[in-house]
Amino acid sequence: MNSDIRSLQLLERDLEGIAAREHERIAVERARRATGGSPGGPRKPRRFPGRGAHWPAVAAMVVAFLVIAGGIGFLAQGGGSNDMRAASGGGAAMPSATSVPDTAPAHEQALPGLLQSGSGRVSDTSGGGAQYEAFGPNPAAVKSGQQTALPDLPGQSQQDLSKIIRDGSITVVVADGEFPQKVTSVTRIANRNGGFVLTSSSKEGSSGTFTLRIPDDHFDRAMDQLRALGEVKADQVTGQDVTAEHMDLKARLDILSDRRELLRSLQAKATTSSEILRFAGLIDQVQFEIEKIQGQLNFIHDQVSEATIKVSLREQDAPAEGNPGDTDKPSLADAWDLALQGFLRVLGAVVVGLGYLIPIAVIGLLGWFVFRLVRRRDRGAS
Amino acid sequence: MPDERTDNQLLKASADDPDAFTELYRRHAEDLLRYFARRTLDPEAAAELTAETFAEAFASRGTYTDMGANGVAWLYGIAKHRLGRFFRSGRVDATARRRLGMPERELPPEDYERIEDLVDFAPIREALVEALDTLSEDQRQAMRLRVIDGLGYPEVAERLDCSEANARQRVSRGLRKIALLLQERGMQLTSEVEA
Repeated sequence: MNSDIRSLQLLERDLEGIAAREHERIAVERARRATGGSPGGPRKPRRFPGRGAHWPAVAAMVVAFLVIAGGIGFLAQGGGSNDMRAASGGGAAMPSATSVPDTAPAHEQALPGLLQSGSGRVSDTSGGGAQYEAFGPNPAAVKSGQQTALPDLPGQSQQDLSKIIRDGSITVVVADGEFPQKVTSVTRIANRNGGFVLTSSSKEGSSGTFTLRIPDDHFDRAMDQLRALGEVKADQVTGQDVTAEHMDLKARLDILSDRRELLRSLQAKATTSSEILRFAGLIDQVQFEIEKIQGQLNFIHDQVSEATIKVSLREQDAPAEGNPGDTDKPSLADAWDLALQGFLRVLGAVVVGLGYLIPIAVIGLLGWFVFRLVRRRDRGAS
Repeated sequence: MPDERTDNQLLKASADDPDAFTELYRRHAEDLLRYFARRTLDPEAAAELTAETFAEAFASRGTYTDMGANGVAWLYGIAKHRLGRFFRSGRVDATARRRLGMPERELPPEDYERIEDLVDFAPIREALVEALDTLSEDQRQAMRLRVIDGLGYPEVAERLDCSEANARQRVSRGLRKIALLLQERGMQLTSEVEA
Protein backbone atom coordinates (compact mmCIF):
# COMPACT_ATOMS: atom_id res chain seq x y z
CA MET A 1 0.00 0.00 0.00
CA ASN A 2 1.58 3.22 -1.18
CA SER A 3 -1.04 5.52 0.36
CA ASP A 4 -0.03 7.56 3.40
CA ILE A 5 -3.59 7.51 4.72
CA ARG A 6 -3.42 5.70 8.02
CA SER A 7 -6.97 4.33 7.99
CA LEU A 8 -6.33 2.61 4.64
CA GLN A 9 -3.20 1.02 6.03
CA LEU A 10 -5.14 -0.26 9.04
CA LEU A 11 -7.88 -1.57 6.80
CA GLU A 12 -5.30 -3.39 4.69
CA ARG A 13 -3.95 -5.03 7.84
CA ASP A 14 -7.48 -6.08 8.86
CA LEU A 15 -8.13 -7.56 5.43
CA GLU A 16 -4.84 -9.44 5.50
CA GLY A 17 -5.81 -10.91 8.85
CA ILE A 18 -9.18 -12.02 7.50
CA ALA A 19 -7.53 -13.45 4.38
CA ALA A 20 -5.16 -15.45 6.57
CA ARG A 21 -8.06 -16.86 8.59
CA GLU A 22 -9.87 -17.68 5.37
CA HIS A 23 -6.75 -19.47 4.11
CA GLU A 24 -6.74 -21.63 7.22
CA ARG A 25 -10.42 -22.42 6.89
CA ILE A 26 -10.04 -23.42 3.25
CA ALA A 27 -7.05 -25.60 4.11
CA VAL A 28 -9.03 -27.35 6.87
CA GLU A 29 -11.94 -27.93 4.51
CA ARG A 30 -9.62 -29.39 1.91
CA ALA A 31 -8.03 -31.66 4.48
CA ARG A 32 -11.42 -32.85 5.66
CA ARG A 33 -12.47 -33.47 2.10
CA ALA A 34 -9.29 -35.43 1.40
CA THR A 35 -9.90 -37.63 4.45
CA GLY A 36 -13.58 -38.01 3.60
CA GLY A 37 -14.57 -36.28 6.82
CA SER A 38 -16.89 -33.83 5.20
CA PRO A 39 -18.66 -34.00 1.89
CA GLY A 40 -18.35 -31.16 -0.59
CA GLY A 41 -15.46 -28.90 -1.48
CA PRO A 42 -14.26 -25.70 0.14
CA ARG A 43 -17.13 -23.68 1.45
CA LYS A 44 -18.08 -20.83 -0.81
CA PRO A 45 -17.72 -17.43 0.76
CA ARG A 46 -20.94 -16.27 2.29
CA ARG A 47 -23.22 -14.71 -0.19
CA PHE A 48 -24.79 -11.42 0.65
CA PRO A 49 -28.51 -11.24 0.12
CA GLY A 50 -29.56 -9.30 -2.94
CA ARG A 51 -26.13 -9.30 -4.56
CA GLY A 52 -24.95 -11.77 -7.18
CA ALA A 53 -27.82 -14.15 -6.61
CA HIS A 54 -28.31 -16.84 -9.22
CA TRP A 55 -31.62 -15.68 -10.59
CA PRO A 56 -32.28 -18.64 -12.88
CA ALA A 57 -31.93 -20.97 -9.91
CA VAL A 58 -34.13 -18.73 -7.76
CA ALA A 59 -36.75 -18.56 -10.51
CA ALA A 60 -36.66 -22.35 -10.90
CA MET A 61 -37.14 -22.76 -7.15
CA VAL A 62 -40.12 -20.40 -7.17
CA VAL A 63 -41.69 -22.25 -10.11
CA ALA A 64 -41.08 -25.60 -8.41
CA PHE A 65 -42.64 -24.24 -5.22
CA LEU A 66 -45.74 -23.10 -7.10
CA VAL A 67 -46.02 -26.40 -8.98
CA ILE A 68 -45.80 -28.33 -5.71
CA ALA A 69 -48.38 -25.96 -4.22
CA GLY A 70 -50.64 -26.57 -7.21
CA GLY A 71 -50.23 -30.33 -6.82
CA ILE A 72 -51.06 -30.19 -3.15
CA GLY A 73 -54.02 -27.91 -3.82
CA PHE A 74 -55.18 -30.25 -6.57
CA LEU A 75 -55.07 -33.23 -4.23
CA ALA A 76 -56.64 -31.27 -1.40
CA GLN A 77 -59.54 -30.41 -3.63
CA GLY A 78 -60.31 -33.99 -4.46
CA GLY A 79 -57.81 -34.86 -7.16
CA GLY A 80 -59.52 -33.04 -9.98
CA SER A 81 -62.82 -34.86 -9.90
CA ASN A 82 -66.01 -33.06 -10.78
CA ASP A 83 -66.31 -32.10 -7.16
CA MET A 84 -63.39 -29.74 -7.55
CA ARG A 85 -65.03 -26.39 -7.51
CA ALA A 86 -62.39 -24.04 -6.31
CA ALA A 87 -62.66 -21.21 -8.70
CA SER A 88 -66.15 -20.55 -9.87
CA GLY A 89 -67.59 -20.18 -6.42
CA GLY A 90 -64.82 -17.98 -5.06
CA GLY A 91 -63.95 -20.61 -2.48
CA ALA A 92 -62.08 -23.85 -2.43
CA ALA A 93 -63.48 -27.31 -1.86
CA MET A 94 -66.92 -26.27 -0.77
CA PRO A 95 -68.89 -29.02 0.85
CA SER A 96 -71.27 -30.90 -1.36
CA ALA A 97 -74.98 -30.92 -0.69
CA THR A 98 -74.99 -34.18 1.16
CA SER A 99 -71.84 -33.47 3.12
CA VAL A 100 -73.14 -30.36 4.85
CA PRO A 101 -74.44 -32.14 7.94
CA ASP A 102 -71.20 -34.16 8.27
CA THR A 103 -68.68 -31.43 7.75
CA ALA A 104 -70.35 -28.44 9.32
CA PRO A 105 -68.78 -27.36 12.60
CA ALA A 106 -70.70 -28.19 15.75
CA HIS A 107 -71.80 -24.62 16.40
CA GLU A 108 -73.17 -24.38 12.86
CA GLN A 109 -75.03 -27.64 13.26
CA ALA A 110 -76.59 -26.25 16.38
CA LEU A 111 -77.87 -23.21 14.49
CA PRO A 112 -79.42 -24.48 11.32
CA GLY A 113 -81.59 -21.42 10.98
CA LEU A 114 -78.57 -19.14 10.84
CA LEU A 115 -76.93 -21.42 8.34
CA GLN A 116 -79.81 -20.95 6.01
CA SER A 117 -79.78 -17.20 6.16
CA GLY A 118 -76.86 -16.85 3.75
CA SER A 119 -77.67 -16.01 0.19
CA GLY A 120 -76.26 -17.96 -2.68
CA ARG A 121 -76.96 -20.06 -5.70
CA VAL A 122 -76.75 -23.73 -6.14
CA SER A 123 -76.99 -25.75 -9.30
CA ASP A 124 -77.24 -29.43 -9.95
CA THR A 125 -76.40 -30.71 -13.39
CA SER A 126 -76.69 -34.25 -14.52
CA GLY A 127 -73.29 -34.17 -16.20
CA GLY A 128 -71.08 -32.67 -13.54
CA GLY A 129 -72.66 -33.35 -10.18
CA ALA A 130 -73.61 -30.62 -7.77
CA GLN A 131 -71.96 -27.26 -8.26
CA TYR A 132 -71.94 -24.91 -5.35
CA GLU A 133 -71.63 -21.32 -6.46
CA ALA A 134 -71.52 -19.38 -3.24
CA PHE A 135 -71.16 -19.77 0.49
CA GLY A 136 -74.01 -21.18 2.51
CA PRO A 137 -75.86 -24.45 2.75
CA ASN A 138 -77.20 -26.29 -0.22
CA PRO A 139 -80.76 -25.08 -0.62
CA ALA A 140 -81.73 -28.13 -2.61
CA ALA A 141 -80.73 -30.26 0.34
CA VAL A 142 -82.74 -28.05 2.64
CA LYS A 143 -85.77 -28.21 0.38
CA SER A 144 -85.62 -31.94 -0.09
CA GLY A 145 -85.46 -32.46 3.64
CA GLN A 146 -81.86 -33.68 3.81
CA GLN A 147 -81.18 -31.38 6.73
CA THR A 148 -84.11 -32.55 8.80
CA ALA A 149 -81.65 -34.43 10.97
CA LEU A 150 -80.41 -31.09 12.26
CA PRO A 151 -82.07 -29.82 15.43
CA ASP A 152 -84.60 -27.01 15.08
CA LEU A 153 -84.45 -23.84 17.06
CA PRO A 154 -87.14 -23.72 19.75
CA GLY A 155 -90.44 -22.60 18.33
CA GLN A 156 -89.15 -22.27 14.79
CA SER A 157 -88.99 -24.80 12.02
CA GLN A 158 -86.40 -24.72 9.30
CA GLN A 159 -89.03 -24.36 6.63
CA ASP A 160 -90.20 -21.16 8.27
CA LEU A 161 -86.83 -19.58 7.69
CA SER A 162 -85.63 -20.90 4.36
CA LYS A 163 -86.71 -19.03 1.25
CA ILE A 164 -85.30 -20.61 -1.85
CA ILE A 165 -86.28 -19.95 -5.41
CA ARG A 166 -85.80 -23.05 -7.49
CA ASP A 167 -85.53 -23.29 -11.23
CA GLY A 168 -85.03 -26.26 -13.47
CA SER A 169 -84.30 -26.79 -17.11
CA ILE A 170 -84.35 -30.01 -19.02
CA THR A 171 -83.74 -31.02 -22.60
CA VAL A 172 -85.44 -34.23 -23.64
CA VAL A 173 -85.16 -36.02 -26.98
CA VAL A 174 -88.11 -38.21 -27.94
CA ALA A 175 -88.56 -40.74 -30.72
CA ASP A 176 -89.52 -39.48 -34.16
CA GLY A 177 -93.27 -38.83 -34.46
CA GLU A 178 -93.81 -38.75 -30.69
CA PHE A 179 -93.53 -34.99 -30.26
CA PRO A 180 -97.29 -34.16 -30.27
CA GLN A 181 -97.98 -36.91 -27.78
CA LYS A 182 -95.16 -35.77 -25.47
CA VAL A 183 -96.43 -32.18 -25.61
CA THR A 184 -99.69 -33.45 -24.16
CA SER A 185 -97.70 -35.32 -21.52
CA VAL A 186 -95.84 -32.14 -20.56
CA THR A 187 -99.15 -30.29 -20.08
CA ARG A 188 -100.52 -33.23 -18.08
CA ILE A 189 -97.44 -33.31 -15.84
CA ALA A 190 -97.88 -29.61 -15.14
CA ASN A 191 -101.55 -29.99 -14.30
CA ARG A 192 -101.20 -33.13 -12.20
CA ASN A 193 -98.60 -31.43 -10.07
CA GLY A 194 -100.85 -28.47 -9.42
CA GLY A 195 -99.07 -26.22 -11.89
CA PHE A 196 -99.59 -24.91 -15.38
CA VAL A 197 -97.85 -24.23 -18.67
CA LEU A 198 -96.82 -20.59 -18.62
CA THR A 199 -95.46 -20.37 -22.18
CA SER A 200 -95.06 -22.78 -25.03
CA SER A 201 -93.70 -22.65 -28.55
CA SER A 202 -93.20 -25.33 -31.14
CA LYS A 203 -91.32 -25.52 -34.41
CA GLU A 204 -92.32 -27.62 -37.42
CA GLY A 205 -94.24 -29.96 -35.16
CA SER A 206 -91.06 -31.73 -34.10
CA SER A 207 -89.53 -29.52 -31.40
CA GLY A 208 -90.64 -26.96 -28.90
CA THR A 209 -89.93 -25.21 -25.62
CA PHE A 210 -92.23 -24.89 -22.62
CA THR A 211 -92.11 -22.94 -19.41
CA LEU A 212 -93.90 -24.64 -16.52
CA ARG A 213 -94.83 -23.17 -13.17
CA ILE A 214 -95.01 -25.93 -10.58
CA PRO A 215 -95.70 -25.67 -6.83
CA ASP A 216 -92.43 -26.06 -5.04
CA ASP A 217 -93.61 -29.14 -3.14
CA HIS A 218 -94.05 -30.99 -6.41
CA PHE A 219 -90.93 -29.72 -8.13
CA ASP A 220 -88.84 -32.87 -7.70
CA ARG A 221 -91.69 -35.13 -8.73
CA ALA A 222 -92.38 -33.05 -11.84
CA MET A 223 -88.71 -33.12 -12.83
CA ASP A 224 -88.65 -36.90 -12.46
CA GLN A 225 -91.74 -37.23 -14.64
CA LEU A 226 -90.25 -34.96 -17.29
CA ARG A 227 -87.03 -36.99 -17.30
CA ALA A 228 -89.12 -40.08 -18.02
CA LEU A 229 -90.45 -38.57 -21.25
CA GLY A 230 -87.43 -39.61 -23.28
CA GLU A 231 -83.68 -39.39 -23.47
CA VAL A 232 -82.42 -36.60 -21.24
CA LYS A 233 -79.76 -34.58 -23.03
CA ALA A 234 -79.34 -31.88 -20.42
CA ASP A 235 -80.76 -31.44 -16.96
CA GLN A 236 -80.09 -28.55 -14.61
CA VAL A 237 -81.55 -27.53 -11.27
CA THR A 238 -80.64 -24.20 -9.71
CA GLY A 239 -81.61 -22.76 -6.38
CA GLN A 240 -81.34 -19.17 -5.26
CA ASP A 241 -81.35 -18.66 -1.54
CA VAL A 242 -83.25 -15.42 -0.83
CA THR A 243 -83.66 -16.07 2.87
CA ALA A 244 -81.49 -13.13 3.88
CA GLU A 245 -83.32 -10.76 1.57
CA HIS A 246 -86.67 -12.04 2.82
CA MET A 247 -85.69 -11.61 6.47
CA ASP A 248 -84.37 -8.13 5.77
CA LEU A 249 -87.62 -7.10 4.07
CA LYS A 250 -89.65 -8.61 6.92
CA ALA A 251 -87.64 -6.66 9.49
CA ARG A 252 -88.09 -3.43 7.55
CA LEU A 253 -91.81 -4.13 7.24
CA ASP A 254 -92.13 -4.60 11.01
CA ILE A 255 -90.30 -1.36 11.69
CA LEU A 256 -92.43 0.57 9.22
CA SER A 257 -95.63 -0.92 10.66
CA ASP A 258 -94.59 0.20 14.15
CA ARG A 259 -93.82 3.64 12.80
CA ARG A 260 -97.20 3.84 11.10
CA GLU A 261 -98.94 2.94 14.36
CA LEU A 262 -96.93 5.55 16.23
CA LEU A 263 -97.79 8.22 13.67
CA ARG A 264 -101.45 7.30 13.85
CA SER A 265 -101.47 7.62 17.63
CA LEU A 266 -99.71 11.00 17.37
CA GLN A 267 -102.17 12.10 14.73
CA ALA A 268 -105.05 11.20 17.05
CA LYS A 269 -103.57 13.47 19.70
CA ALA A 270 -102.96 16.36 17.32
CA THR A 271 -105.02 19.44 18.05
CA THR A 272 -104.47 21.72 15.08
CA SER A 273 -105.40 21.06 11.49
CA SER A 274 -101.85 21.76 10.28
CA GLU A 275 -100.50 19.07 12.64
CA ILE A 276 -103.14 16.60 11.50
CA LEU A 277 -102.24 17.25 7.84
CA ARG A 278 -98.55 16.92 8.53
CA PHE A 279 -99.04 13.54 10.23
CA ALA A 280 -101.29 12.42 7.41
CA GLY A 281 -98.53 13.16 4.93
CA LEU A 282 -96.02 11.21 7.00
CA ILE A 283 -98.40 8.28 7.35
CA ASP A 284 -98.91 8.25 3.58
CA GLN A 285 -95.17 8.08 3.04
CA VAL A 286 -94.79 5.19 5.47
CA GLN A 287 -97.78 3.44 3.96
CA PHE A 288 -96.27 3.75 0.52
CA GLU A 289 -93.02 2.18 1.78
CA ILE A 290 -94.98 -0.62 3.48
CA GLU A 291 -96.84 -1.43 0.29
CA LYS A 292 -93.64 -1.43 -1.72
CA ILE A 293 -91.99 -3.87 0.66
CA GLN A 294 -95.13 -5.96 0.85
CA GLY A 295 -95.04 -6.20 -2.93
CA GLN A 296 -91.45 -7.39 -2.86
CA LEU A 297 -92.31 -9.96 -0.19
CA ASN A 298 -95.26 -11.18 -2.23
CA PHE A 299 -93.04 -11.56 -5.27
CA ILE A 300 -90.50 -13.57 -3.29
CA HIS A 301 -93.30 -15.67 -1.83
CA ASP A 302 -94.65 -16.38 -5.32
CA GLN A 303 -91.21 -17.26 -6.62
CA VAL A 304 -90.52 -19.52 -3.68
CA SER A 305 -93.89 -21.24 -3.68
CA GLU A 306 -93.80 -21.97 -7.39
CA ALA A 307 -90.76 -23.23 -9.25
CA THR A 308 -90.09 -22.57 -12.90
CA ILE A 309 -89.11 -25.41 -15.20
CA LYS A 310 -87.98 -24.80 -18.75
CA VAL A 311 -88.53 -27.82 -20.93
CA SER A 312 -86.96 -28.26 -24.33
CA LEU A 313 -88.51 -31.11 -26.21
CA ARG A 314 -87.48 -32.34 -29.64
CA GLU A 315 -87.59 -35.38 -31.84
CA GLN A 316 -84.32 -37.09 -32.62
CA ASP A 317 -84.00 -35.73 -36.13
CA ALA A 318 -85.13 -32.22 -35.25
CA PRO A 319 -82.46 -29.53 -34.93
CA ALA A 320 -81.46 -28.81 -31.33
CA GLU A 321 -82.79 -25.59 -29.87
CA GLY A 322 -80.80 -23.26 -27.72
CA ASN A 323 -80.94 -24.19 -24.06
CA PRO A 324 -78.79 -23.04 -21.21
CA GLY A 325 -78.15 -26.57 -20.11
CA ASP A 326 -77.56 -28.03 -23.55
CA THR A 327 -73.88 -28.47 -24.35
CA ASP A 328 -74.26 -30.65 -27.46
CA LYS A 329 -73.06 -27.83 -29.73
CA PRO A 330 -69.88 -26.34 -28.37
CA SER A 331 -69.14 -22.78 -29.38
CA LEU A 332 -66.19 -20.45 -29.04
CA ALA A 333 -67.91 -18.78 -26.09
CA ASP A 334 -68.30 -22.18 -24.38
CA ALA A 335 -64.66 -22.92 -25.08
CA TRP A 336 -63.66 -19.57 -23.58
CA ASP A 337 -65.78 -20.25 -20.49
CA LEU A 338 -64.23 -23.68 -20.09
CA ALA A 339 -60.73 -22.24 -20.52
CA LEU A 340 -61.44 -19.56 -17.95
CA GLN A 341 -62.81 -22.15 -15.54
CA GLY A 342 -59.73 -24.27 -16.05
CA PHE A 343 -57.44 -21.30 -15.44
CA LEU A 344 -59.30 -20.35 -12.28
CA ARG A 345 -59.25 -23.94 -11.06
CA VAL A 346 -55.50 -24.17 -11.49
CA LEU A 347 -55.09 -20.79 -9.80
CA GLY A 348 -57.38 -21.92 -7.00
CA ALA A 349 -55.40 -25.14 -6.60
CA VAL A 350 -52.15 -23.15 -6.31
CA VAL A 351 -53.69 -20.83 -3.71
CA VAL A 352 -54.99 -23.78 -1.68
CA GLY A 353 -51.61 -25.50 -1.95
CA LEU A 354 -49.83 -22.34 -0.77
CA GLY A 355 -52.06 -22.41 2.28
CA TYR A 356 -50.54 -25.80 3.14
CA LEU A 357 -46.99 -25.08 2.01
CA ILE A 358 -46.30 -21.64 3.48
CA PRO A 359 -46.59 -22.69 7.16
CA ILE A 360 -44.43 -25.74 6.41
CA ALA A 361 -41.87 -23.54 4.64
CA VAL A 362 -41.81 -21.08 7.56
CA ILE A 363 -41.22 -23.91 10.05
CA GLY A 364 -38.53 -25.36 7.78
CA LEU A 365 -36.77 -21.99 7.48
CA LEU A 366 -36.86 -21.48 11.23
CA GLY A 367 -35.35 -24.95 11.71
CA TRP A 368 -32.67 -24.16 9.15
CA PHE A 369 -31.74 -20.92 10.89
CA VAL A 370 -31.54 -22.67 14.24
CA PHE A 371 -29.38 -25.40 12.69
CA ARG A 372 -27.06 -22.78 11.17
CA LEU A 373 -26.85 -20.94 14.48
CA VAL A 374 -25.99 -24.08 16.42
CA ARG A 375 -23.42 -25.14 13.84
CA ARG A 376 -21.79 -21.71 13.86
CA ARG A 377 -21.67 -21.72 17.64
CA ASP A 378 -20.09 -25.18 17.64
CA ARG A 379 -17.52 -24.06 15.09
CA GLY A 380 -16.74 -20.96 17.15
CA ALA A 381 -16.30 -23.09 20.27
CA SER A 382 -13.98 -25.51 18.50
CA MET B 1 7.42 -8.47 -7.67
CA PRO B 2 4.16 -6.80 -8.80
CA ASP B 3 1.14 -9.00 -9.45
CA GLU B 4 0.47 -9.02 -13.20
CA ARG B 5 -3.06 -10.39 -12.99
CA THR B 6 -6.02 -8.27 -14.11
CA ASP B 7 -8.74 -7.19 -11.68
CA ASN B 8 -11.05 -9.84 -13.12
CA GLN B 9 -8.48 -12.55 -12.61
CA LEU B 10 -7.80 -11.37 -9.07
CA LEU B 11 -11.48 -11.41 -8.20
CA LYS B 12 -12.00 -14.88 -9.65
CA ALA B 13 -8.89 -16.22 -7.95
CA SER B 14 -9.87 -14.67 -4.61
CA ALA B 15 -12.61 -17.29 -4.09
CA ASP B 16 -9.91 -19.86 -3.30
CA ASP B 17 -6.98 -17.53 -2.70
CA PRO B 18 -8.00 -14.70 -0.34
CA ASP B 19 -4.60 -13.02 -0.80
CA ALA B 20 -5.66 -12.10 -4.33
CA PHE B 21 -8.32 -9.92 -2.78
CA THR B 22 -5.81 -7.95 -0.72
CA GLU B 23 -3.92 -7.21 -3.93
CA LEU B 24 -7.16 -5.86 -5.39
CA TYR B 25 -7.54 -3.76 -2.27
CA ARG B 26 -4.07 -2.26 -2.65
CA ARG B 27 -4.85 -1.27 -6.23
CA HIS B 28 -8.18 0.43 -5.61
CA ALA B 29 -8.48 1.42 -1.94
CA GLU B 30 -7.39 5.05 -2.34
CA ASP B 31 -9.50 5.58 -5.46
CA LEU B 32 -12.50 4.20 -3.68
CA LEU B 33 -11.84 6.41 -0.66
CA ARG B 34 -11.64 9.43 -2.98
CA TYR B 35 -14.91 8.32 -4.62
CA PHE B 36 -16.65 8.34 -1.25
CA ALA B 37 -14.94 11.49 0.04
CA ARG B 38 -16.01 13.52 -2.97
CA ARG B 39 -19.59 12.41 -2.56
CA THR B 40 -20.00 12.52 1.18
CA LEU B 41 -17.57 15.40 1.90
CA ASP B 42 -17.08 13.61 5.21
CA PRO B 43 -13.72 11.92 5.93
CA GLU B 44 -15.21 9.71 8.65
CA ALA B 45 -18.07 8.51 6.50
CA ALA B 46 -15.79 8.04 3.48
CA ALA B 47 -13.37 5.87 5.44
CA GLU B 48 -16.18 3.81 6.94
CA LEU B 49 -17.87 3.34 3.57
CA THR B 50 -14.57 2.22 2.05
CA ALA B 51 -14.07 -0.35 4.79
CA GLU B 52 -17.64 -1.59 4.54
CA THR B 53 -17.48 -1.85 0.74
CA PHE B 54 -14.32 -3.95 0.81
CA ALA B 55 -15.73 -6.11 3.61
CA GLU B 56 -18.87 -6.78 1.64
CA ALA B 57 -16.88 -7.43 -1.53
CA PHE B 58 -14.68 -9.89 0.37
CA ALA B 59 -17.68 -11.70 1.82
CA SER B 60 -19.40 -12.03 -1.55
CA ARG B 61 -16.36 -12.51 -3.79
CA GLY B 62 -17.47 -16.10 -4.46
CA THR B 63 -20.51 -14.80 -6.31
CA TYR B 64 -18.47 -12.70 -8.73
CA THR B 65 -19.02 -13.76 -12.33
CA ASP B 66 -16.74 -12.53 -15.08
CA MET B 67 -19.13 -10.92 -17.57
CA GLY B 68 -16.39 -9.31 -19.64
CA ALA B 69 -16.51 -5.92 -17.90
CA ASN B 70 -13.67 -4.66 -15.76
CA GLY B 71 -13.75 -6.37 -12.37
CA VAL B 72 -13.48 -3.04 -10.60
CA ALA B 73 -16.95 -2.14 -11.94
CA TRP B 74 -18.30 -4.88 -9.69
CA LEU B 75 -16.55 -3.29 -6.73
CA TYR B 76 -17.96 0.14 -7.58
CA GLY B 77 -21.40 -1.43 -7.95
CA ILE B 78 -21.21 -2.41 -4.28
CA ALA B 79 -19.84 1.06 -3.46
CA LYS B 80 -22.73 2.77 -5.20
CA HIS B 81 -25.21 0.59 -3.34
CA ARG B 82 -23.57 1.44 0.00
CA LEU B 83 -23.49 5.15 -0.85
CA GLY B 84 -27.20 5.11 -1.68
CA ARG B 85 -27.96 3.53 1.68
CA PHE B 86 -25.82 6.13 3.41
CA PHE B 87 -27.68 9.00 1.78
CA ARG B 88 -31.02 7.43 2.65
CA SER B 89 -30.25 6.68 6.28
CA GLY B 90 -27.56 9.28 7.03
CA ARG B 91 -25.30 6.65 8.59
CA VAL B 92 -22.92 3.90 7.58
CA ASP B 93 -23.91 0.45 8.76
CA ALA B 94 -21.27 -2.10 9.68
CA THR B 95 -23.07 -5.30 8.78
CA ALA B 96 -20.38 -6.77 6.53
CA ARG B 97 -17.54 -5.81 8.86
CA ARG B 98 -19.32 -7.37 11.83
CA ARG B 99 -19.93 -10.57 9.87
CA LEU B 100 -16.26 -10.84 9.07
CA GLY B 101 -15.23 -9.94 12.61
CA MET B 102 -13.46 -6.76 11.50
CA PRO B 103 -12.92 -4.02 14.11
CA GLU B 104 -14.72 -0.71 13.68
CA ARG B 105 -11.94 1.84 13.86
CA GLU B 106 -12.08 5.55 14.56
CA LEU B 107 -10.49 7.79 11.98
CA PRO B 108 -6.94 8.72 13.00
CA PRO B 109 -6.65 12.54 13.48
CA GLU B 110 -4.05 12.97 10.76
CA ASP B 111 -6.38 11.36 8.19
CA TYR B 112 -8.96 14.17 8.29
CA GLU B 113 -6.80 16.55 6.31
CA ARG B 114 -5.39 13.83 4.08
CA ILE B 115 -8.83 12.63 3.08
CA GLU B 116 -10.11 16.19 2.63
CA ASP B 117 -7.19 16.75 0.30
CA LEU B 118 -8.70 14.07 -1.93
CA VAL B 119 -11.80 16.22 -2.35
CA ASP B 120 -11.87 19.02 -4.90
CA PHE B 121 -14.06 21.64 -3.23
CA ALA B 122 -13.83 24.13 -6.13
CA PRO B 123 -16.93 23.00 -8.07
CA ILE B 124 -19.14 23.09 -4.99
CA ARG B 125 -17.72 26.09 -3.15
CA GLU B 126 -20.63 28.34 -4.19
CA ALA B 127 -23.22 25.79 -3.15
CA LEU B 128 -21.37 25.34 0.10
CA VAL B 129 -21.69 29.02 0.98
CA GLU B 130 -25.47 28.81 0.55
CA ALA B 131 -25.71 25.56 2.48
CA LEU B 132 -23.72 26.98 5.37
CA ASP B 133 -26.83 28.81 6.57
CA THR B 134 -28.40 25.48 7.47
CA LEU B 135 -25.63 24.63 9.99
CA SER B 136 -25.27 25.51 13.64
CA GLU B 137 -23.06 28.53 14.46
CA ASP B 138 -20.15 26.38 15.68
CA GLN B 139 -20.19 24.19 12.62
CA ARG B 140 -20.60 27.16 10.29
CA GLN B 141 -17.57 28.99 11.73
CA ALA B 142 -15.44 25.85 11.55
CA MET B 143 -16.52 25.19 7.98
CA ARG B 144 -15.77 28.75 6.86
CA LEU B 145 -12.26 28.65 8.27
CA ARG B 146 -11.44 25.15 7.03
CA VAL B 147 -13.20 24.85 3.66
CA ILE B 148 -13.59 28.42 2.42
CA ASP B 149 -10.51 30.08 3.91
CA GLY B 150 -8.49 26.87 3.56
CA LEU B 151 -6.87 27.02 7.05
CA GLY B 152 -5.35 23.93 8.67
CA TYR B 153 -6.98 22.35 11.71
CA PRO B 154 -4.49 23.82 14.23
CA GLU B 155 -5.38 27.32 13.02
CA VAL B 156 -9.09 26.54 12.97
CA ALA B 157 -8.87 25.27 16.55
CA GLU B 158 -6.93 28.35 17.63
CA ARG B 159 -9.42 30.75 16.03
CA LEU B 160 -12.38 28.94 17.58
CA ASP B 161 -10.64 28.47 20.90
CA CYS B 162 -11.23 24.73 20.97
CA SER B 163 -9.20 21.53 20.62
CA GLU B 164 -8.10 20.26 17.24
CA ALA B 165 -10.22 17.15 17.67
CA ASN B 166 -13.21 19.36 18.36
CA ALA B 167 -12.52 21.44 15.26
CA ARG B 168 -12.26 18.29 13.13
CA GLN B 169 -15.52 17.00 14.53
CA ARG B 170 -17.34 20.27 13.79
CA VAL B 171 -16.06 20.35 10.21
CA SER B 172 -16.79 16.66 9.71
CA ARG B 173 -20.36 16.93 11.00
CA GLY B 174 -20.92 20.09 8.99
CA LEU B 175 -19.65 18.53 5.78
CA ARG B 176 -21.85 15.48 6.29
CA LYS B 177 -24.92 17.65 6.75
CA ILE B 178 -24.09 19.67 3.66
CA ALA B 179 -23.45 16.55 1.59
CA LEU B 180 -26.83 15.15 2.60
CA LEU B 181 -28.49 18.48 1.87
CA LEU B 182 -26.89 18.77 -1.58
CA GLN B 183 -27.84 15.18 -2.31
CA GLU B 184 -31.45 15.95 -1.38
CA ARG B 185 -31.41 18.89 -3.77
CA GLY B 186 -30.10 16.62 -6.50
CA MET B 187 -26.79 18.47 -6.85
CA GLN B 188 -23.87 16.52 -8.28
CA LEU B 189 -20.93 16.74 -5.89
CA THR B 190 -18.41 15.66 -8.47
CA SER B 191 -18.17 15.75 -12.23
CA GLU B 192 -16.05 12.65 -12.56
CA VAL B 193 -17.41 9.69 -14.47
CA GLU B 194 -18.32 6.86 -12.19
CA ALA B 195 -16.51 3.59 -12.66
